[in-house]
Amino acid sequence: MTVAESIPAIELLEVLQAQGVTDVVAVPDTHQRSLITLLDLDDSIRFIQAATEDEAVAIAAGLIIGGRKPVVQIQHAGLYACVNHLRGIAGDGRFPIVFLIGLLGRDPFRAPSDHAGSMVALAEPLLDTMQVPRFLLDQRSDLGMIGAAFAVAEERQGPAAVLIGHTTA
Amino acid sequence: MTTSTSRISMDNAIEALAKRRDDQVVVSTMTVMRPWRERAETDRDLICVGSMGSASTMGLGVQLARPDVPVWVIDGDGSLAMQLGSLLTIGNAAPRRFMHVVMHNGVYDTSGAQPVLSEGNMSFADLAKGAGYADAVRFDDIESFELAIDDLLDTDGPVLVELITEPSGDSYQGPEPGTSNQLPEDGRPVASALADAWPKVRDSLAGGD
Repeated sequence: MTVAESIPAIELLEVLQAQGVTDVVAVPDTHQRSLITLLDLDDSIRFIQAATEDEAVAIAAGLIIGGRKPVVQIQHAGLYACVNHLRGIAGDGRFPIVFLIGLLGRDPFRAPSDHAGSMVALAEPLLDTMQVPRFLLDQRSDLGMIGAAFAVAEERQGPAAVLIGHTTA
Repeated sequence: MTTSTSRISMDNAIEALAKRRDDQVVVSTMTVMRPWRERAETDRDLICVGSMGSASTMGLGVQLARPDVPVWVIDGDGSLAMQLGSLLTIGNAAPRRFMHVVMHNGVYDTSGAQPVLSEGNMSFADLAKGAGYADAVRFDDIESFELAIDDLLDTDGPVLVELITEPSGDSYQGPEPGTSNQLPEDGRPVASALADAWPKVRDSLAGGD
């Protein structure tokens, strides 16, 4: 496998802007801290902070109902915390919600599934179990995967996940 | 705190709200869904079931998308208890045209009337005030609620209205084998009920531009 690299937050922001994202709904993620900092300074995309990942999913659903295009930005631990809302709202409710999920603590020299620790290792298998299409963002050349995630979310009318492989720069 | 023995019937509470229904987006959940929809359903109704506690944050999302459209959430006490942190999220976001009604009957109706935790020693209105809601009030008689509701609807939100209500005595006994994930009143799959409803609300909101 290729070694995961740290992707500059500005490049992530530019991709989100190009996708027409209007809101980032987040429970603050250490792994994506630089992107959060940038979003705080940027007026083009609204940053909405939630107390829990469950709430972030429900807020994103409401935003879509109101005509907005949100992403949900969380950490892998938050993915585990919001499994029922991922199923019940995003999945069964057929909301095209894209998740940006930080793999905090991931060894950039290993595939996530090769980790001994469950926090990183179980993220992909869980998404597969939940039938959520997933993309691993390990290189700057992978940034197009975000657009692919939006496309598959729209096509399936359901959630899609982009795993952020390395701490953002 | 819930020390009063006076309580409002759910029917009366719903009636007071239903006769003021206009163009609001209304998110209802759990026991109140059926009587509300029977009384006041429009193409701006959303239900929240199977993801307990998220009616208010779904409503928050709608209001953040469309601050020009009032949003009502008709919540339950057990539901709100499952996502109590949402009070902070809503208090922080400060949606102005947002009324959060909590039917506080003190029990988990559908599972056999087990008490909501700390029943008798807590107040959702007090919790909401502490979490940053613009206003939060509680009522245990319908006359006081009827006198106050129009002013509350004119108050900049978020506003939480805690109604001390009678347990519904709902005879719902849970899904029959093989019917999980279905609405108790008509057997429609929960998933399709939400998935069917929200595009209609979206289209209604888009048509109102």
